[in-house]
Amino acid sequence: MAAMSLRNILLTGAMLCALAGAPGARAQILEVGVDASPVGLDPHLITAFPSFQVVSGTIYEGLTAIDKDLRVQPGLAASWTVSPDGKIYVFKLRPGMHFHDGSPVEAADVVASIHRVQSKDMASPMASRVGTVAQATAIDATTVELKLSEPTAPLLISIATIAIVPRGFENDKASLQKAPVGTGPFKFKEWQPNGFIALTKFDGYWRAGAPKLDGVKFNIVPESATRQVGISSGQFSMLANIDAATAMQLKGKPNVRLAETLELAYSLIGMNTSKPPFDNAKVREALNYALNRQEIIAAALFGAGVPGGPLSPALKDWAADTSSFPCYKYDPAKAMALLKEAGVPMPVVITMNVLPRQDIKDIAQVAQAQLNKAGFKVELKNQELGQFIQDWRNSAFDSFASTNGGSTDPDDYFYRTFRTGGSTNVFKYSNPEVDQLLDSARQMPDQAERKKAYTKVQAILACQGPIAHIAYGQIFSALRSNVAGFDQIANRSLVTLSDASIAK
Amino acid sequence: MKKRSGLLLFAVLAVLVPALLAVGADFVAPYDPVGQDIIARLRGPMATHWLGTDQLGRDVLSRILYGSRASLLVAAGSVGSALVLGGGLGLLAAYYRGWLERIVMRLMDILFAFPVMLLAIGVVAVLGPGAVTAAIAIAVVYTPIFARLLRGPALVICDADFVAGARAAGATDARILLIHVLPNLMGVILVQTSLLLSSAILVEASLSFLGLGTQPPNPSLGLMLAEGRNVLLLSPWGALFAGVAILVLAFGLNLLGDALRDRLDPRLREL
Amino acid sequence: MIRIVTARLIDLAFVLIGISLLVFCMIRFIPGDAVAIMLGANTEVTPDRVAALRSQLGLDQPLLLQYGRWAWAALHGDLGTSLWTGRPVVDEITLHIWPTLQLTILALALGAGLSIPAGCLMARLRGGTADTLLRLGSVAGLTIPSFWLGIVMILALATLAPSLQLLGYVPFFDDPLGNIARLLLPAICLALPILANLSRLVRSALLEALGQDYIRTARAKGLGEALVLYRHALANAMIPFVTSLGIMTGYLLGGAIVVEQVFAIPGLGRLILGAISERNYPLLQAVTLLVTAGFVMVNFAVDLLYRVIDPRLRG
Repeated sequence: MAAMSLRNILLTGAMLCALAGAPGARAQILEVGVDASPVGLDPHLITAFPSFQVVSGTIYEGLTAIDKDLRVQPGLAASWTVSPDGKIYVFKLRPGMHFHDGSPVEAADVVASIHRVQSKDMASPMASRVGTVAQATAIDATTVELKLSEPTAPLLISIATIAIVPRGFENDKASLQKAPVGTGPFKFKEWQPNGFIALTKFDGYWRAGAPKLDGVKFNIVPESATRQVGISSGQFSMLANIDAATAMQLKGKPNVRLAETLELAYSLIGMNTSKPPFDNAKVREALNYALNRQEIIAAALFGAGVPGGPLSPALKDWAADTSSFPCYKYDPAKAMALLKEAGVPMPVVITMNVLPRQDIKDIAQVAQAQLNKAGFKVELKNQELGQFIQDWRNSAFDSFASTNGGSTDPDDYFYRTFRTGGSTNVFKYSNPEVDQLLDSARQMPDQAERKKAYTKVQAILACQGPIAHIAYGQIFSALRSNVAGFDQIANRSLVTLSDASIAK
Repeated sequence: MKKRSGLLLFAVLAVLVPALLAVGADFVAPYDPVGQDIIARLRGPMATHWLGTDQLGRDVLSRILYGSRASLLVAAGSVGSALVLGGGLGLLAAYYRGWLERIVMRLMDILFAFPVMLLAIGVVAVLGPGAVTAAIAIAVVYTPIFARLLRGPALVICDADFVAGARAAGATDARILLIHVLPNLMGVILVQTSLLLSSAILVEASLSFLGLGTQPPNPSLGLMLAEGRNVLLLSPWGALFAGVAILVLAFGLNLLGDALRDRLDPRLREL
Repeated sequence: MIRIVTARLIDLAFVLIGISLLVFCMIRFIPGDAVAIMLGANTEVTPDRVAALRSQLGLDQPLLLQYGRWAWAALHGDLGTSLWTGRPVVDEITLHIWPTLQLTILALALGAGLSIPAGCLMARLRGGTADTLLRLGSVAGLTIPSFWLGIVMILALATLAPSLQLLGYVPFFDDPLGNIARLLLPAICLALPILANLSRLVRSALLEALGQDYIRTARAKGLGEALVLYRHALANAMIPFVTSLGIMTGYLLGGAIVVEQVFAIPGLGRLILGAISERNYPLLQAVTLLVTAGFVMVNFAVDLLYRVIDPRLRG
């Protein structure tokens, strides 16, 4: 044992010597402070946000891209056509693109990437996003054809999240986790776990003039106060995706400015509809009346957020206004009356699992106090992440307080969450009317018709659904005042780093 | 000698005053420790809230008093159980010697070799977080410490003539251990219990700091520190005062152990 | 001597096996397994994908078989690969051990180095008000929560020296000065209790020695008070000093979890915490085994050292 650690020390010494020669001076490296270390960098295998933050849009790109208004834009594909029945998509790739390893980006790579995501062996958590793709073919070097088993309205949005990797990794689960190879503006340089991840400018990037930076270094600093010290002192030029509490503390600091936007993610209270008391729709409605969303926002989000319905107000094309939901008006008396009507013994004793994140813990504590005033008796269970996920997956909860990432298309979220038997319907919610609406909406090519269906769905879900949507928060990034060109995006992607620059 | 009793008196007061305040939290605390007042949140010390309010507008002083009570309860429960279990094992090992001693002490070595926090985190991870599991975790961590601490002096006493005499007179093992050996160990026990209570306060605080101890919304000193650090640069008071409270509790108990050690037996100093 | 060493070695092996078994079982009893966490919350996963992942990772096998396989490989120097990144566990440890080692050495050097003069000072001032004050100070040093101290230091840094850029970790060979400057605050944080503990030890050992015959002789020979203290009495303090040092080294190597967290140092403590929350079984097994084994070995070495320092124990 002693011999082994000695060897390690020597090894470390050797590696450190090798690193010592790295260039440092003059280059425009953006020092970013982030809170958590990625656990892997394979774009088809990662599930955690710290990983996405580092690779999405920076190292990896998809055929399509999502802009800051959350609309679909051309990505690696310059253009595409859709057959009239909505079942055949043909994508035309931009000419002359290269991967970071120097090989050209060809249709065969796109096909290989889609197969990789669909492969059973890979067990990619993104498989369902291309679940309806029955056949992917490379027509020629720059043309890809996708044949769908059924019309899938959200395909262009889903496909934006499927990173294109070089062919040859279809059976390789390990390599890309450690050393990603993509098409994005930055290429992977070095990863010191729990220390930093360094990316460097990709000279062969397809978009002329981008990126402006010579590199980006993500420094992993778990303690919020420490990150704040880092940006105040100028050691970091950016704190990416910080919450309201951190942003409030940085407001007005010299040489620091905040970029912000309304987030796609939202906080929620989920209810298990397969057992009492939340099997009763009246009890779920009562919970909604008992919540004072404005107070929760003021307390846990420092006022930086808006009450939200089932869809984020950031999705301007789809979201119904919360004023149309009667239960969003705080009314504890009405909540009590509903509980009485439901005939459940009062106070209604429930447990609430809490996701281990400070803003969610605060939301849960405020919600607990509010619910306890309206006929409930809530016991909070603050869980460790692994336990929380396990209970979530097994539907082992009365209720839980958590946050969801949010989707850019209503179908992606609604279908898997609220459809009977949906893959993330851990609430065991089943409502034939909702099922019917969701089934038909995903096959409607007409936007206006789809919107009508989803408005109806939102009305049903808002007050009696298995999720009490609480609030959509503002998401912030703090920047040194000499950093220009970065835009905060609602889905937390750092894709606009390609246009960022540091003034001397 | 006079100086020493002065120190002891000071130590006793340093333990008693905060302990009484904590135990009497129901009567002393000015506010409900979980009562929220969102509008008056993150305030510094002022006339209505002597130590300010936290991120949900709860009174920091009241939370500290109730939190101290929780900390003391966990510390007392865990050190008490560890004393009975670990002390008992150490005593048996010293009395019976041979294989029993070797096996017991090696088992204790296994537990002892774990870094305190790692073992505690492991136990809490298995049993699920909460004040009771925090107490169990600390008890597990301290059991080998008591066993090792008591075995040494117990070995000396078991070798003494009066023990051999009692045995010759036909006393049972249990009687010898309880009547002849144990009373002679009281000094060591008193000193070590006091010292370990002090560090149990610290371990409990770090466990709840990591979210593994007392569960919110119930107040706990470590938890207040953890919650307060998120708003540290906005309003550092909650985190600062919670830390001071931990320090005060642990300080008094440690000083008491130290003073007792001086008082009871100068030879015990090296232990 | 050889007999004793052999007996201790057998015990050592027993303890190491016990530790590895305990760690192995403990982390698998933690609810929520690696696969659940790997798949994340709110992601779409079908049961057969979960099953496939479990069997790929070998988590569907009986526990004892898993342990046997792991132990056999470990005996051959193969500690496995990290569940998440596929990197060899040895590499992960190599990357993280260096900052922790440095922090440990710095903290020990600060704490132990200052404790000798501090202890001597306390011994010389014995009985006075200054002694009592120093003693209260040392009790405070022992009981100050290091995680709190770390946060207070960050707060102080933010208010007193907002332009100081001293966060994180740079390898020693990249920037020796920067390396030490960055480790200084966390090292002070960790050194304080060490200083408090050891200085008290030095003080009481000195006082005890001062009462003894050979010191009186030395004093009678006309040696100065200072010389008497440092030369003769200090040697007497070495045994408890070395014991405490051994135990502390062990604990420090275990990673000062919270201090590393606060000061953003990529050391073993962070690795352990991450491995627990990711349920990274092979990594956690290896790191815990390494840390506890390190602790046991250091104490074993201290035990042997005793016998070298103190001839009475040599038998």
